Order: sequence, then structure tokens, then C-alpha cells
Amino acid sequence: MARDRNRTDKPGKGVTRRGFLGTVGAGAVAAVTGLPRPGEAVPEITEPKGMVETALSINGRMHRLLVEPRWTLLFVLREQMGITGTKIGCARGECGACTVLMDGSPRYACMTLALEAQGHEITTVEGLMDGEELGDVQQAFVEEDAFQCGYCTAGQVVAAQGLLAANPSPTVDEIRAGMAGNLCRCGAYVHIFRAVERAAKGRGKGGGR
Amino acid sequence: MDLAVQRVLRPGSFEEAVRVMAEHPHALPIAGGTDLVVQLRDGRRAADVLVDLSGAGLAFITARNGVVEIGGATTMDAIANSREIRDACPALAAASRLVGAWPIQCRATLGGNLANASPAADTAPPLLVAEASVHLVSADGDRRIQLSELFSGPGETCLRPGELIRSIMIPTQHLQRTVREGFAKVGPRWEQIISVASLAHRFELDADGSIREARVAVGSVAPTPVRARAAEQFLAGKPPTAAVRREAARHLQDDISPIDDVRAPAWYRRVAVSVLLDRALTEAADG
Repeated sequence: MARDRNRTDKPGKGVTRRGFLGTVGAGAVAAVTGLPRPGEAVPEITEPKGMVETALSINGRMHRLLVEPRWTLLFVLREQMGITGTKIGCARGECGACTVLMDGSPRYACMTLALEAQGHEITTVEGLMDGEELGDVQQAFVEEDAFQCGYCTAGQVVAAQGLLAANPSPTVDEIRAGMAGNLCRCGAYVHIFRAVERAAKGRGKGGGR
Repeated sequence: MDLAVQRVLRPGSFEEAVRVMAEHPHALPIAGGTDLVVQLRDGRRAADVLVDLSGAGLAFITARNGVVEIGGATTMDAIANSREIRDACPALAAASRLVGAWPIQCRATLGGNLANASPAADTAPPLLVAEASVHLVSADGDRRIQLSELFSGPGETCLRPGELIRSIMIPTQHLQRTVREGFAKVGPRWEQIISVASLAHRFELDADGSIREARVAVGSVAPTPVRARAAEQFLAGKPPTAAVRREAARHLQDDISPIDDVRAPAWYRRVAVSVLLDRALTEAADG
């Protein structure tokens, strides 16, 4: 999760797959994987349009960047900013893998245009870290073994964070309803609900942040 | 990220939004985007220019003079949590909690659900039962229409180019113990589904338990959400006995024209919506 970003922030902490791809460059990767090489025709879906300058507040930091109006927040987070904790799932607001918090409530980044996020505080799974420590919801997911493949986990954790902000001590039914917008193909739901319960209980004891 | 959108305009007030819509007649307004972004991506709707209504001051709920007014960009979550709406139109509060899942409810708006004009729009049957009206505004002026007039077909409304849904108005019911109101939908699971059939009801009961006035509206069983007038007329003045419930379900078949699609065959929709009516009547009888 946030480790990747921290590593790229602090050189010398080792090589990550993502950092490797980023620094070595697409050309070298293309040679290995058979992706389109520079100069090769790449299928164009939509003509690139004019960039708009915008400022997005992400995980407490203001980022000034140029975006195309058609870009979703998900695309900007992952492909423009390299904040890749937020995952692409269905890209149509059904699976919840791309869940981020906008002003504290869960939003699907795949159906939010980046320009719509202006003036709002965006929190991704990376923003739930406390330095190098996991946030309390993340920690609860680890302790309850609340994932199998882990692909939906970032979205699940962020959704749980939003749920607990709105309802600090949810019942099991309220947890099930609150987390219903996040699908898990591995079927780790029972553990996920337990993790949310654990995080809620931890906060009740003053253990959360 | 292949939305064919070239500009997103973000008016800071409703007046500015109306002006911007007039200047860009082919623009589409966007509020929550939960339907529109998917449709733009799939190519089912197209727009060069989007007008983002999130800064236009359209997220409000007010109750005065016997009317609850809901701003067009009010979210499902705000509606489900509103005491005014739970009092004035409990079926709408219930339906808002069944649109998508919670992250969708935090984003999807009432005006968007209606403007999208899906036959399956969950907020429509409760508002039809409440006989809600819609306040439409464009640069040419404003008008107030009944919600039933808004829908002209699947995905189609009578909205004119540049016209925005400013608000939805619900006449406040006289809160009587004898009014039974609710909303229910059928689908493969509770959350994150598009209704296979939905039904909102408001029954006003006499002292002896018979139905003085019945209002029933259904979704996903006709080209638009519709009132079930034949079933309503049959039910008026009758007690909700088993025989009456069966006969009401027969009359309901004349109110609907369901189709086969990816979600369900037409025959299943006929059965499902009949069961929803039967349950509503049974609950009314049990008090």
C-alpha cells in the first residue's frame, strides 16, 4: 500500500516493481512484453483534448496538475500521480475496488471526474497510514485475515473507514449494509465484517485515531 | 478513461448554472454522475460539455406550508436520513436506502435519478404515490409539472434543452395512524442491483380496516414508472382479504406492460410485482 510511495519518495530503500517500471521507462518494458513501441500506431479512443489546470487535495497534500476534463479521479490518481493503492475493478460503480473518501464519505473514484474533486479532501488507502504504521482499520484487516487475493482490500478498508466515521459503533447488520458496495470475489466477507467490528471496538476503547 | 467529454463547467450558483445551460444547449448536467458517467463511457449518452451542478446550491431539504421541497442535487443518503422526508414520505426514505449501495447513495441525487428516467428508478414510485411535482427552470422561465408528466419513455423525459430540475415538491400527508405507506423492490440481492420490479403504496384505512383510498405505483414493469390505476380503483372501499388481494393482483396486470430483458423475463416481473402488492396489502391488514 503506502510503502510503495514511501519507497519512491526515499531513494535507497530498495526496488519496487512499480518504481522499476516507472524509472526504466515504457520503452524498455515494451521491448520485453510486446506492448506498442513508440512510433507504433496506438488505437485512439478519443482525441486528446485541452488540459485544464487544477489543484487536488489528496491525503492532506495539495497537488497542482494538468488534467483533461474527461479523466476520472481514478485515472488521475493511478496513472498521473502514481497513487496506485486505489484499484480499478469494474469501472462502472458496482464493485467498490476504487473506493476513496471524499470529505470523509466513500466515493467510487471510477465515476468521479477529477475536476469534480476540486475543492474536496480526497483520502486514498495510502492516506490511512500513520507514517510507517498501519491505520487502525488496516491493522484490523490484517489481524482478522480479512482478505485472500487482496485486490478489493484497499476499497474495503477505505469503505470501512468511511462507515466508521459516519457510524462509530455499527451493528453487524449496519456493517453489512455499509460495506455492501464493495464486492470480494474471494468471499472473505465474514472476516471483513469481523475486521470492521474489531476496528470499531478498538476505537470505542480509545485505541483508534 | 475514454469519456468523450471536452469541457466540464462548474457554475457557482443556480442562476449561473441556468445561464451556462442556455449557452451550451447540448451540454448535459451532471450531479452525482452514478448513471451518467457509466453511460458516457458506454456511449449510451454523449456530451461534449458537462455542467457540474455540485456547486449550484441544489442540495437542500426544506419543509414549509405543507410541502417538503427537495433540491435536485440532494443525495439519496441525505434523503434517507431526513426526518422531514421520513415523516412526509416514508416510502421515499426507504427507496433512497435501496438505490445501489451506500457509496452510491452518498453520491447519487434525486434529480439525477428522475432525469435519467430509467423505468427502474427506485425513487419514482414513492414520489408518484405522494403525487409529487417537479420545479423545472431554464433561461426561458420556469414551470411546475406533475412527476407523472416528466417521464416520456425509457431514458426519456419532457425536459427541454437547457432545462434543469431545480427541486421536487411533496405535499405533506396528514399524518394519521390509518395511513400505511411503504416501498419494496425485487432483485437478485438487496444492494447494488437494478430493480426487477418495485412497488410503492399508500393505503388510507377506515376504522373497520377496509381501504378508503389506495395509491400504488410500480417500477420496472412498464416503459416508465407508473401509477397502478386499475388496481387502485378496485381496492378502494374493500377490506384487504385474501380474495381481494388475489383480485387486486389480477387488476394490476392491466396497469403494466413488462418486457423481457437481461434482468428478468416479463412473466417473472408480472409475478414479482403481484407478490409485492400482496405483501403490502397483507401488512396493511396486519397493521
